[in-house]
Amino acid sequence: MSSDFETYELDFGTLTADITNKIGRIPKLAGEEKTQLVLNVDKQLEEVRELLEQMDLEVREIPIQSRGMYSSRLKSYKQEMEKLEKDFKRSRIAYSDEVRNELLGDDASSSESQRAHLLDNTERLERSSRRLEAGYQIAVETEQVGQEILTNLHSDREKIQRSRDRLRETDANLGKSSRILTSMLRRDTSWTLRCSSLRLC
Amino acid sequence: MDYSGKEKEAMAIMAEADKKMKTSHSLFGSFLGSSSKVEEACDLYVRAANMFKMAKNWSAAGDAFCKAAQLHLQVQSKHDAAVNFLDAGNAFKKADPEEAINCFCQAIDIYTGMGRFNIAAKHHISIAEIYESELLDIDKAVAHYEHAADYYKGEESTSAANKCLLKVATYAAQMEQYQKATEIFEQIGTYSMDTTLLKYGAKDHFFKAALCHFCVDMLNCKLAVQKYEEMFPAFSDARECKLLKKLIDAHEEQNIDAYADAVREFDSITRLDQWQTTMLLRIKKTIQDEENDLR
Repeated sequence: MSSDFETYELDFGTLTADITNKIGRIPKLAGEEKTQLVLNVDKQLEEVRELLEQMDLEVREIPIQSRGMYSSRLKSYKQEMEKLEKDFKRSRIAYSDEVRNELLGDDASSSESQRAHLLDNTERLERSSRRLEAGYQIAVETEQVGQEILTNLHSDREKIQRSRDRLRETDANLGKSSRILTSMLRRDTSWTLRCSSLRLC
Repeated sequence: MDYSGKEKEAMAIMAEADKKMKTSHSLFGSFLGSSSKVEEACDLYVRAANMFKMAKNWSAAGDAFCKAAQLHLQVQSKHDAAVNFLDAGNAFKKADPEEAINCFCQAIDIYTGMGRFNIAAKHHISIAEIYESELLDIDKAVAHYEHAADYYKGEESTSAANKCLLKVATYAAQMEQYQKATEIFEQIGTYSMDTTLLKYGAKDHFFKAALCHFCVDMLNCKLAVQKYEEMFPAFSDARECKLLKKLIDAHEEQNIDAYADAVREFDSITRLDQWQTTMLLRIKKTIQDEENDLR
């Protein structure tokens, strides 16, 4: 039983390799060849499906104890086949490099365009490095300006602190002087009152 | 505005004020009257001076202000006298620098007598600027800047003091008094690196100090740079520090081209100012001299 399974496995392996190969070639071709190859791959996929069904039947006949390994292998083969089908579908609508080259001009001018490309890139790099340097210069200048501003701020800070202290002193002095003046006024009024009272007597 | 008209008016007022002065002297008996006469005369002088200023006759304006100031001194109103001396100084600045300096000095004397050191320091700076620009006497300018810095230090205005000291150090280095210059730069550098506001300027000061060290001796410079790096770790990241190290290496190898390359590279990013270029040139000359000596 298991030997059948193994033969099926080998067949599966060869078929999938062939299909992968053909799928790789499909995008590069066009027209008659492409349709031929597509039909080919279709047929091979059918064969692979039949193989898988056979393997399934085989696995069911194996007693349950030793079934585990085979069933897991079968699962992985099924997944591989699904992946191949997806690739196949994608390849049929894929674009290939050949088509692109045909559109954009043939191989003879590609070396020239490569050189122009490279020069262009070098120039772009040089431009970028020049811009970076200019940016760095501006950053350094900004730092210097900022430094000057900070020094000015520091000296202004001292001036403001000094003015505030002086203002507080002046305020205190003004308060004192107003108190002295009020006491003088009071003394003066009491003195005049005393004088007038003496004169009356 | 009719300037010549103003000038004639001003002259008329001056004459009136002079007459008032003469009459007040003759009336010395009525001293109350004379003081008010003196004040009136002062006012007239000031008015005349302002008119001269309008007519742009600076020396006449200065003279008028001086006369007013003298009168104020006679009646012991020091503040007013000082203010008038200052006005006189400012007027003379545009015409006769020497006279301006005289007036400023008199004003400074009055202010220091009153104990107003901040203002006195400010005017020391004005005098120093006149010496710098008009009379081109660097020694006297440096002396005045030092006075100003001392007064500011006395009044705890460290940032203003530092500004003056910087100027002193720059001129000292130009005149090859490297010891003095290095001390000042280091002092300012250490002060700046502690304050949050000023720490970004500290590396500049250390750079200048190191340049002065370099002018004296390369070994000095090496030790100094190490010392500054220890004190102030951010200094080692600065481009100035990297430049210094390259210059030290070039000097050790007596390689003028490497020296010039390093300087050019630094210059391409930030232009070197006049003072720095002079210093670097002097150091470069020492390399060339040593090369010649070896030959």
